[in-house]
Amino acid sequence: MSRRKIFKVIIILAIVGIVSAVSIGVYLFNKPHRDVEAASIEFRVSNTDLVTQYLTNPEKANQKYLDDSGNSSILAVTGKVHSISRDMNNQAVVLLKDEEQKAGVSCTFTLQTSEQTEKLQVGQSITVKGVIRAGAGYDEDLGLYEDVILEKCSIL
Amino acid sequence: MKKVFYILIPAIVMTMVSFKAINGRLISRSGHISFYSHTPLEDITAHNYKVVSTIDPGSGSIAFSVPMQSFEFEKALMQEHYNGKDFLNTKAFPKAKFEGTIQNIDDVRFAEDGVYEASVKGNLTIKDITKPINEKGTITVKGNTVNIRTKFNVVLADYGITFRKGKPSTNIGKEIEVTVDADHLPE
Repeated sequence: MSRRKIFKVIIILAIVGIVSAVSIGVYLFNKPHRDVEAASIEFRVSNTDLVTQYLTNPEKANQKYLDDSGNSSILAVTGKVHSISRDMNNQAVVLLKDEEQKAGVSCTFTLQTSEQTEKLQVGQSITVKGVIRAGAGYDEDLGLYEDVILEKCSIL
Repeated sequence: MKKVFYILIPAIVMTMVSFKAINGRLISRSGHISFYSHTPLEDITAHNYKVVSTIDPGSGSIAFSVPMQSFEFEKALMQEHYNGKDFLNTKAFPKAKFEGTIQNIDDVRFAEDGVYEASVKGNLTIKDITKPINEKGTITVKGNTVNIRTKFNVVLADYGITFRKGKPSTNIGKEIEVTVDADHLPE
């Protein structure tokens, strides 16, 4: 191989390297959000069981469900509809909670899935899929029980 | 005499009802907090619609609880960095908290519609680090809804969030602008 040919090969390899590094960079920078609605369910649990896990041992429950990068567990939670409302972004919020429960599971739907909640009735039993964001517990400063938070929800 | 009772009884009932509204705690379970970071290289915004807060109209004490993983960013990678161990470490510290007091609570008339400037003093806890803050906010009373709105800056280094190298050190502002907007209803 002539010196010139070797030089040519090196240049080509360098260009290929730079182009792929830049495209990986651009891809990572623009990496889409995880599609929670389409992703597979990691845990199936009842509303009461999930809340009890948090009220008895919040550290253990956080260890089990939360993720370091914020891509926490995708759950399918079954429970009774306690209330239906809208948040400040006009997303539907369904609270799954039994009457005697101290805390429930607050499920926020997306702008796309919110219409699934339109026909829901209070007291109806449903299964909601979503990503867990925080657990339930009593907060002394608030003076009330906080609900488990589930977001990007859809009805199964 | 009977006539007096007809007037008196509704009057007493009305007073009791309105007192109940004034004394009862006000709760918001879907408040909105956003933050904004500006650098010449990049502007970053994130939104959170799952903030829980309470106001005690009697004492003026207020409290906010912020689920940290509920902040949504435009870019997935940014959101992962934000949640990660080097930044907010949200798995270990899933909630940020504020508890404080409205200093001029006597100026706020919760029983009638109006807009009030409130001065709030309290403690903000992020990543288990608590710092005193002293900010102004706006309280809007409309019917039985009490809205709190405020905007203030948080210096990241105060809460042990520092970057010495890499993209975050150049693309994330040292000071973040935090906007709070929450509608509270009687319990």
